[in-house]
Amino acid sequence: MNESTQSGRDPLDEALASLPEDVTPQRDLWPRIRAEIAKTPIVAPATASPVQSTWFRLAAAVLLVVVTSFVTYYLTRQSMPQPIARTTPESLPTPQVSPQPASFSFGSERLGAGYRNARAELDKRFHERLAALPTADRAKVEKNLADIRHAADEISATLAQHPSDPLLQDLLMSTYQSELQLLANVSELPTAGSMRTDL
Amino acid sequence: MRVVVTVAAALLLGHAARADEVDKSAQADPRGEVVISNVAGEVQVTGWDRNEVHVRADLSDDEQRLEFRTSGARTTIEVVLPRGHSYRGSTDLVVQVPRNSSLTMTTVSADQTIKDVRGMQRLQAVSGTIQTELWNEDIEVKNVSGEVYVRGHSGKGTLRATSVSGGLRLEDIGSEMELNTVTGDMTVRVAELSKARIRTTNGNLELRAAKVTDDLRVDAEGINGDLRFRFPRTLDAEFDISTFNGDIDNCFGPKPHRTSEYGPGNALRFKEGNGDGRVRIKALNGTVEICNR
Repeated sequence: MNESTQSGRDPLDEALASLPEDVTPQRDLWPRIRAEIAKTPIVAPATASPVQSTWFRLAAAVLLVVVTSFVTYYLTRQSMPQPIARTTPESLPTPQVSPQPASFSFGSERLGAGYRNARAELDKRFHERLAALPTADRAKVEKNLADIRHAADEISATLAQHPSDPLLQDLLMSTYQSELQLLANVSELPTAGSMRTDL
Repeated sequence: MRVVVTVAAALLLGHAARADEVDKSAQADPRGEVVISNVAGEVQVTGWDRNEVHVRADLSDDEQRLEFRTSGARTTIEVVLPRGHSYRGSTDLVVQVPRNSSLTMTTVSADQTIKDVRGMQRLQAVSGTIQTELWNEDIEVKNVSGEVYVRGHSGKGTLRATSVSGGLRLEDIGSEMELNTVTGDMTVRVAELSKARIRTTNGNLELRAAKVTDDLRVDAEGINGDLRFRFPRTLDAEFDISTFNGDIDNCFGPKPHRTSEYGPGNALRFKEGNGDGRVRIKALNGTVEICNR
């Protein structure tokens, strides 16, 4: 993946290419995802080009899909009851089982390279916009983003202790969506520098 | 001689003061779109019964320029800054628009006050208070840092409001809403509630509904904060409430149960009346209260 990035491929293409093909959500996620997509953005910044705007909408949509799919996949896998132990017939080869960690975390490191690359692009735009905000507003945005991430960490840590808790699963997914929504919203904010100026 | 000098100075000063004031107007479609952008200052927009857009701008210095143009049904009002200008001033705009216009407003550090504009509104601010009225058309509000006040007229418009750091105070808005805050409390009063999707990370919610529709749908989530609902005395709805660290207070009667014998968590599911509506509430850290009085 890193080689591809160095070769100049579009990070969004990388993100799309890295999506797993075998993730089957437990339930129909599209209505919720569509609702999230429909909410972004409400006002285009004065100087954002249509291409940029479309790119970030696509990026946000892809991120939401990736997050939702991965979280659902991992949570579903974790919540599935373990099969009852049976005697393995000697004629069958012994299955190679990857040991599952005793504790489980849903940090972004579990969400794959595609997610991380696309997220990095959104982060880059977010920080560009953030730097252009007045100091007081920048501090508020940073604090709120930190609050969301802290909440995600807290839920993730609690999930490690209660991996099959559906309430925590829903709230974690919702918190990840809130984080992405905040990044996308700030990325499209108008700033003093982005408002119209005389040429 | 002294009198002549004084008069001349007064005229010059008067001219200098007026140089920063702009007063313009143009014919406009009664249901057209008005687009306003300003960086800093205050923007007041009022609906009136003339097919005309009028703007009075108080520019803070000579380097700023007000662009006022119409194209078809669209009227644009922009405070334009000189290139490379280090912006420190502020510009106040007072705008009148045809009452049924739709309004798109973008500001950075400016308060927005909108009165009697009955078309669709899209309002976005980085910093500043947003105050508006909700009629029969939808409103979308996004504010990063600042309070949002919406006073409704119990019309049909849907409100979508997002605030990163700041509260939402909503009175007599329509029956459908989608609300989201990261840090900020929400206070909502509605005559009738039909559909609500509410999410907060750090904030309290208090929602009072005098009536609810038969197809009531409420979906609320809170991470850190209390979620309090006041519903009418009688309603037909199925409730599904769960909290991880927090109590569930229920005035309707049924008591919550613990979801785990050894761990935290409370849940409450019950049906009122025919159970046609759906109320789903999820909270991580905070109390959920539902009451019918």
